[in-house]
Amino acid sequence: MFKQIIKLLILFSWFLLLSNTFLYAAGKVEVVTTSGDLADLTEEIGGDRVKVVSLSRGEQDLHYVEPRPSMVIKLKNADLLVKIGMDLDIWVDSLINASRNSGIVYGAKGYVDASVGIMRLGVPSIKLDASMGHLHIYGNPHYLIGPQNIPVVLENILKGLVRVSPGDAEYFRKNKNEYLSKFNRALSEWEKQMAPFKGFKIVTYHKSWEYFAHYFGLEIMGNLEPKPGIPPSPSHLDSLIERMKTEKAGLIIQETFHPKRTGEMVARETGAEFLVLPASVGAMGTKNYFELFDYIVKEICSSLK
Amino acid sequence: MLKYIIISLNFIFLPNLIFGQEKAEIDLARSAGISSMALPAPLSGMSGMSSNLPDISVIGDFYGKASNSKDDTVKDKLTIRSIELSLQGYLYPEMRADIFLAMHKHGEIVEAEICEGYVSFLKLFNNLSGKIGKVHVDFGKINKVHQHHRPYVDQPQVITNFFGDHGLVGEGASLSYLLPLPFFVQFDVSAWQIPSHEHEPEEQDVTGLIDADGNNIEEILVPGECSEFGMGGGVYTSRLWLSFPVSGKSELEIGASGATGQGSHYTHHKDEVDIIGIDVTYKIWPSAHTRLLFQSEYLKLKRVVPPGELNRRGFYSFLEYRFNRYWDAGVRYDHAENAFPVLTKHSSFSGIVTRHLTETTGWRFQYKQNFKEPDNIREAYIQIFFGIGAHSHPLE
Repeated sequence: MFKQIIKLLILFSWFLLLSNTFLYAAGKVEVVTTSGDLADLTEEIGGDRVKVVSLSRGEQDLHYVEPRPSMVIKLKNADLLVKIGMDLDIWVDSLINASRNSGIVYGAKGYVDASVGIMRLGVPSIKLDASMGHLHIYGNPHYLIGPQNIPVVLENILKGLVRVSPGDAEYFRKNKNEYLSKFNRALSEWEKQMAPFKGFKIVTYHKSWEYFAHYFGLEIMGNLEPKPGIPPSPSHLDSLIERMKTEKAGLIIQETFHPKRTGEMVARETGAEFLVLPASVGAMGTKNYFELFDYIVKEICSSLK
Repeated sequence: MLKYIIISLNFIFLPNLIFGQEKAEIDLARSAGISSMALPAPLSGMSGMSSNLPDISVIGDFYGKASNSKDDTVKDKLTIRSIELSLQGYLYPEMRADIFLAMHKHGEIVEAEICEGYVSFLKLFNNLSGKIGKVHVDFGKINKVHQHHRPYVDQPQVITNFFGDHGLVGEGASLSYLLPLPFFVQFDVSAWQIPSHEHEPEEQDVTGLIDADGNNIEEILVPGECSEFGMGGGVYTSRLWLSFPVSGKSELEIGASGATGQGSHYTHHKDEVDIIGIDVTYKIWPSAHTRLLFQSEYLKLKRVVPPGELNRRGFYSFLEYRFNRYWDAGVRYDHAENAFPVLTKHSSFSGIVTRHLTETTGWRFQYKQNFKEPDNIREAYIQIFFGIGAHSHPLE
């Protein structure tokens, strides 16, 4: 009986080992990203020569993704890791260490920090501490919602893909250029739609729309959070409501994962419009960057008209 | 002569002028809140602002307890339980050091100790990694988690009864192998040296004992026991840890652990100890900031002493719901037998509420009703925990 159990265990182990080999031997570049946005952009460049998995879902708050052991296996088998960087997805660090994959560690050819080279906003010029809320020492990390950063991000991903699969360099470059052209055409359209609202004052829940507002010329006059990561307090909201009335801020924006009650209440008090918007590909049913920006621009335009 | 003076002045002032120009440009960009970064932001363990500093953090754990027990010597006090200083950083590619120095308060005495201090070899060979130093041993789910990082104020009783107040902490080495399977399976083996305790018997002769199976042991030859049991001397442990997603929003972890070695008072009791444990953790994330967690560990201890064999068991089950980023509420049930010849059975029920301010800062309230050993004792705890600086732990 004991021998039979041992035989069965050995057979089962072989089955698992072989299935694992076939699962990851399809010849595609295995890419793991930390967000749905980066997964979409990587798929656009990599086409059918990459297999992309995102460690987070679009509706998740990227500050609060809980590392899971199952993510270790995804990273273990990855040829390339594309991360947001700037400390937003710091939760992936313990997973990289647990994966024992030296191809995706910091500085390795399979390590891509997509933020490298972007024009960063909110870079602190003074010493930070927790009295200022949850601030990031490398600047505001919500840069993927800013269309101005997409060309830099695409280039970073392209370089990473070429490093791990140099034979596909031309294919990846062609895909990237085609995507960028398509993106620029769409961007012109979004710019046209947003042009009438330049200088409009808006309020956001968290400091996560700075890049978007900076690009389209919206002015963020305040946040529902008194400081990043600190929940709204009555005194802060009182003062914000007064300021919104005085300065005629007409729109409040927040992501899907923040509680809606506060924004709805402030909107009622001030007469401003209140919008819950997707901030990442995958949220609110968006499947790619075009759908994401189409959705955001359409909603903002119809609210501000 | 004048030529040399001009050249010398150039050497003195020119570098400063150039630096000043660059600085002005940087300041201008910073004042506009705009800058770009030529290199990726470093990982945790590399994020000290000065390039050669490790990540430095301080973790504080303040604690207060109220109880209706007349024998409780730590009740009705708000005290510092521990202050932990951590220094973490890379030593070499794929090799890092994590040092946690702690000041712990035991009664009225504050003791400094190396809580943990180890060097990790993140990749030794293929899927193998290793660790050398003093660590909270990878046995079960909660033993390796630092007190300030646990979701309750006190320690589950079964951990205290079988491993002592600080859990199973040893100096030695471990190897960890990630099996090449489509799902997460990790196997650890370790060898530890744990300091044995000096024996301070509370009583010398004990008679009329009964073991876990209800058998009487009439002639007791073991000397009297101390108040705390643990493992000591050479201890060998292993752990098998499996995890797989049940759905896109949930994950199941199952673990089996074993430890073999001696009791911490071996020179006196000549006791050989084997402990096995199984643990189950199930997490569901219904939305971005909500989480349901169920965690349970069952431990079985076999202690062989010259007069006979003691078999003891214990478990805890913990259920917690995270309502949002700031609030958690949970319940825990403990049942644990002691590791001594005189059998006692502890059981208690706790309700816990946690308010998080940040990832490492918050406060916690816990109400605990003891049903047995001690009988009908009610306890209330309050904990304030805080963190300053960059602090990280490996995947737990």
